[in-house]
Amino acid sequence: MNALKVPARTIALFVLPCLLLYVCLVFVPIFFSMYNSTFDWNGIGVKKFVGLDNYTRLFTEDNVFWPAVRHTLMFAVFSMLEIPFALYLATLINRFVKKPNFFVTSYFVPVILSVVIIGQLWKTIYNPASLGGMLNQVLDALGLHSWTHAWLSEPDVAMYALYFVALWQYLGYHLLIQFTGISNIPTEIYEAAKIDGADGFKADWYITFPLVVPIFKISIILAFIGSLQSFDMIMVMTGGGPAHSTDVIATHMYNMSFMSSKFGYGSSIAMVLVAVCLIATVIINALFNRVEKKIG
Amino acid sequence: MSQTFLTAASRMDEPGRKRFSFAKPFVFILLGVLLVTQLYPLLWLFTYSLKTNDEILSGQFFALPKSMQWDNYKQAIDANYWQYLFNSIYVTLITLVCVIVLASMAAYAITRFKWKLGPVVMLIFLIGMMIPVQATLLPLMLIFKNIHIGDHGLMGTRWSIILPYIAYQTPIAVFILSGFMRTIPHEIEESAHMDGAGVFRTFRSIILPISIPPIMTVCILTFINIWNEYILAATFISSEKIKTLPFGVNSFVSQYSSNYGAIGAYLVLGALPVIVLYFLLSEKITKGMVAGAVKG
Repeated sequence: MNALKVPARTIALFVLPCLLLYVCLVFVPIFFSMYNSTFDWNGIGVKKFVGLDNYTRLFTEDNVFWPAVRHTLMFAVFSMLEIPFALYLATLINRFVKKPNFFVTSYFVPVILSVVIIGQLWKTIYNPASLGGMLNQVLDALGLHSWTHAWLSEPDVAMYALYFVALWQYLGYHLLIQFTGISNIPTEIYEAAKIDGADGFKADWYITFPLVVPIFKISIILAFIGSLQSFDMIMVMTGGGPAHSTDVIATHMYNMSFMSSKFGYGSSIAMVLVAVCLIATVIINALFNRVEKKIG
Repeated sequence: MSQTFLTAASRMDEPGRKRFSFAKPFVFILLGVLLVTQLYPLLWLFTYSLKTNDEILSGQFFALPKSMQWDNYKQAIDANYWQYLFNSIYVTLITLVCVIVLASMAAYAITRFKWKLGPVVMLIFLIGMMIPVQATLLPLMLIFKNIHIGDHGLMGTRWSIILPYIAYQTPIAVFILSGFMRTIPHEIEESAHMDGAGVFRTFRSIILPISIPPIMTVCILTFINIWNEYILAATFISSEKIKTLPFGVNSFVSQYSSNYGAIGAYLVLGALPVIVLYFLLSEKITKGMVAGAVKG
């Protein structure tokens, strides 16, 4: 016998509560947003149907949108660049450290903290030296006074200051994922390779890296999707300012929707975000399937 | 030919251990530096939280507080800390219970019942995992404003954040749980059936107990995500009485922006529950989060 045959009523009883709640609170709102994005509407006045006008304005007239797209993509690129580093660290830990748990769990601490804690902590660190900011004080102490900045209020550096916080917070996460992947590789493979003369970095190159590709892919997807979505940290630290220099797609959507009450326009930005996320996931998956085929 | 022989010979001469001991110090220096960058900011925050404003503004980052300003903590705790903590526990617990009950029922039906739509339902949840949840913020707010329970609007109540929290966490929970339930041998259910147990009884007293490990994973993931969630809470609720901890911490910090010591203290207090939990259960938490990532 295989799967249970049960009356439809029982199936409904098991599935529907979860499915309905989920569909009503995620899918219905997305479709509602799609509908709203064709209106000019501030929530109070009349809903005026404008067709795709919100999208045309977004793509052609909005001075904030394209820089926000650029910041979002840069965010994603930086987060993904961190992963090879995390993988390399993981191989080093795996090879040289006898009791790796101490390092791995210590690096992981920032991952479990709320964006509010992380964001406010780094805001304090980025403060000017005269307000007790650690980073500027450290630079001063090293005699690098010319390197000090008002990290979050200078438009040229603010975005980089934010990228750094995200990299700092998630290093431990990616490291742990890669490390788990590596420790799951059976040691026999390395022993066999050693007999054939491959150990150390050679073994990493020919054994470890190919075998962790699936895990590597997971990290890349997580980093990419995470950075497309990560805006709560930016909301906590800068809210998209100064002068929109740290706006990403999601903060722009949030500010338009909730600060300027442009509900129709905000919805159209939300739709773009959804589209970008779906497309990105599909592309990354396709790319990695190719790589995996080549290696396998 | 002789060339190959030579390299092979030299490789044999070269003792693996010698090269290791050469690289080892560098690796440990690198790991140590990272340990400092990942953990020192948190330690710094702790010393910061025990200083007076004067010490913070004029002192050096590495200086220890001259006398412990526990008063900073008193101020922080007096600013609704216990209330926020209670609210966070309340919201997180309800979310946890609902997610586990709903998701395990759905996962059971999807993997163990014989019905045509099972894969379709699974697909709906899978697609949902790719949707950025912040795109639902605005439409959810618009919908919740129009839902009234008794004479209260749903918006601004605890349920206005709990319901979306449950919905956001179900796809990954269903995914993890169904991945596990698929592997349970059918004989177990069969014998339960022979003994006269109905579907519900089988589910409750056989399937759920076996599924404790993946349920733990779901618990950890949900806990970390919901406990730390900020933006939805900050958008949907405003009453001091129901603010969750991250939102409360952020309001305190923005409100008392020049009381540096107390801000530090509030941040430490905000981080404390998770840090303590992590200290007690670090292995479970890291494993759970990696399992969640890898299966997601």
